[in-house]
Amino acid sequence: MKVLPTLEGGLCIIPESEADWMELHLICTDAVRPSHLAESLADLMDDDSDWDEFVVPDLEESFNSQCRFVAATIENARDHNEKAIFITPPQSEKWYGAINQARLSLETRYKLDAVEADGDLEEATPEVRSAYFRNRFYLFLQSMLLEFVMDGVE
Amino acid sequence: MPKSTPTTKKKQKTKTQKDVPWSVVVLDDPVNLQGYVTMVLKRVFGYPQPRAETLMMEVHTQGKSVVWTGAREKAEFYVQQLHGWQLQTTMEKAS
Repeated sequence: MKVLPTLEGGLCIIPESEADWMELHLICTDAVRPSHLAESLADLMDDDSDWDEFVVPDLEESFNSQCRFVAATIENARDHNEKAIFITPPQSEKWYGAINQARLSLETRYKLDAVEADGDLEEATPEVRSAYFRNRFYLFLQSMLLEFVMDGVE
Repeated sequence: MPKSTPTTKKKQKTKTQKDVPWSVVVLDDPVNLQGYVTMVLKRVFGYPQPRAETLMMEVHTQGKSVVWTGAREKAEFYVQQLHGWQLQTTMEKAS
């Protein structure tokens, strides 16, 4: 897979194999349940704030729409045999958000930060190793988005 | 008479709580990138790059940082914004 900045200030993802497409599909699969993220953020607030009632539904909808957008973009590109997926500057926040949800979810499930810090990757199960490498790929995509697209968008 | 006294006290307490300044606190997490946290602080609060970087480094090295202090209502608004950007954020009464 190639990921390149575009002259229009966006990003271009070029999947080169079936495995690359699968990797992209996994972004939204890994994000799992956007409502869980909204609820866990609400847990940081005290009960007086009524966060669950007034804020969580909006956050859930926002997180869900990020995943829906990314899933639809990938699906559409695949269905039409597109050679590349283009991320324009206005779309970059949705992509970054969906990928971030995937990384937060992987971190919650597999404690990848601790796995990396302990250097236990070789002893980890195949499932954890797979999650680790997906997380590294997502991190790479986020870094590219941040460096070449989002930092200039106001 | 007995009923009116507690009501008055409650109102006073509520007013006092509203007057207390609140801090917006961003917590460290192992996922959000340093550059991303800096960018979010710039966008949400309009901080210049050096101030946003200083606060981000405080989050990174000390585990948390008070990024804004003021009225409760506005603090809640900022926390909502930061949650939207997926930053671990909470509020506490300013010391």
